[in-house]
Amino acid sequence: MNIAVLIKQVPVSDNVSVNPETHALIRSSSEGMINPADRNAIEAAIVLKEQTEGKTVVFTMGPPNAEKALREAMAIGCDESCLITDRCFGGGDTIATAKVIAKGIEKYGKFDLIIGGAMSSDGATGQVGAMAAEYLGIPHISEISSLTFDSSESGSITAEKRYQGMQVKIKASLPALVTVNFGCNEPRMATLRSTRAAKTKPLVTYTNAELCMAKEDAGLSGSPTVVTDSFEPEHARKAEMLSGSPDEMAAKLKELIDSEKGKE
Amino acid sequence: MPEGICIFAENYNGNLDNSVPELVTAAHVIKAATGEKIEAIVSSDQCRELSDQLVKLGVEEIYAVKTDHDPAFQDDSLSRVYAEMIRRIEPSAVLIPATPAGRSIFSRTAAILGCGMTADCTELLVAKRDDGSFYIKQNKPSFGDNVFVTIEMKPGVYPQMMTIRPGVFAPYENSGSSDAKVTYFDDIVMPASGVMVIETVPAAAATGSILGADTVVVGGRGAAAEGNMELLKQFADKIGAAVGCTRPIADTGVIPFEHQIGQTGATIHPRICISLGVSGAIQHTEGIKDTKLFVAVNTDENAPIYNVADYGINADMKEVLEAYMKL
Repeated sequence: MNIAVLIKQVPVSDNVSVNPETHALIRSSSEGMINPADRNAIEAAIVLKEQTEGKTVVFTMGPPNAEKALREAMAIGCDESCLITDRCFGGGDTIATAKVIAKGIEKYGKFDLIIGGAMSSDGATGQVGAMAAEYLGIPHISEISSLTFDSSESGSITAEKRYQGMQVKIKASLPALVTVNFGCNEPRMATLRSTRAAKTKPLVTYTNAELCMAKEDAGLSGSPTVVTDSFEPEHARKAEMLSGSPDEMAAKLKELIDSEKGKE
Repeated sequence: MPEGICIFAENYNGNLDNSVPELVTAAHVIKAATGEKIEAIVSSDQCRELSDQLVKLGVEEIYAVKTDHDPAFQDDSLSRVYAEMIRRIEPSAVLIPATPAGRSIFSRTAAILGCGMTADCTELLVAKRDDGSFYIKQNKPSFGDNVFVTIEMKPGVYPQMMTIRPGVFAPYENSGSSDAKVTYFDDIVMPASGVMVIETVPAAAATGSILGADTVVVGGRGAAAEGNMELLKQFADKIGAAVGCTRPIADTGVIPFEHQIGQTGATIHPRICISLGVSGAIQHTEGIKDTKLFVAVNTDENAPIYNVADYGINADMKEVLEAYMKL
């Protein structure tokens, strides 16, 4: 089974502030990391690949330094990688981003399954996976908690997902796209050795010279939505602040809890 | 000109999702400025039951597509049904709950219609363009709720499609008329899906302890420090509380992700909530704004959590909890 994995490089910290002129986010750190849920996507892909043979190809769209995330994914165990990067892809909303990613996957080759994390830790829209599935014309199951493949039913994949207090088992015919919840498996780690080996694994770069997107389909100009303002939440304190030594504050806290519990 | 505020009537097993009455309230926010009608779209094998529930909510027009089987999770096909309904109704806005089903179905619908979709709005403001047309400024938290952004559709993009964060708008209580017109689009037939449900069983109650808990202790980023989680759990045991956490902690895997509160996690309604090392903000507090006692412990005296807590303790949680355990 050939599997594409979609990952996103996200800021390490969400401790950000806003440039009041441009509404751009000022990140306290330029360091990026693989989005936590995407690590679960990588793990799910590697497990399936080991079971079925084939290859795993990890994709990301981002600035050139997103190569770091791809190298890490290959160090963890993905076989190949594809960096989709072009200034004209930048600033896109979920629609514009999903279109470019779908185009990149199609250009790379045929995949039986595409796996992504359910949500990013920064934008957290949870939309791009399902949108990419639409552009690829394949079914999808989102926000799943487990994934299994039965070789006697090689035309489909089975996922589990929680919904309204129910555990639901769902089958999708392949090719399909799934997004996995954060924490649904135990992602393996890269080792020193695998990190070294990842340096020579294949990395293909697609710019718009390769993807040939119409300008009105990508990036800012391809986005139906636009960010027009940004602001930090107002600080209007409501809490009554307790003071004193830790012992005194702990005693006061106990008093508050006991008093409220006493009202049962 | 597109007109009407359309809500997605998310449903399961013939019942409207709890988010639907909240969407009606959000729709009224828009209606107050634009005077447009509030419409609902629903597709299910139990349209009649669902329409009855929508009528009671004071929705003015209901559009339904009846399916010959339960279409739950067949989002590749459902998204097409809703896209076609929206093309016919031509609403100016479509409101969707920011729930797993809302995101999954309408991400595809937005792609089909090419209209885009904003995610997880917590505030809607109606503004007017120079040509007299109304548009919606959609405010949403970003980056762990430390920043809010305003998102709009580019002029001429319709419908304005957005998901609304559950628990932000109060459920609508209809005291007015309830005589909505129900229109069935009998010629819209759900296409075959590549997705099939093979089994549905009640989920193990892993989240039960926190969902129904009367007293909850919530750990945030500040609880990730060495030894703090252990202390937090001991404290929770001592006061008989369930343990929850915010996203940064859930992301570390210290507390099972089912116990994440807010945003993508569980919505809880405890009577007593003690937060430890949680700096902000809405993603965590939406679920607990009705608490009777909410004490926040944080080392940052400007932490936004103090905007919603009843009492604040500006101190290292470790020192306070160690002192508490000795009491």
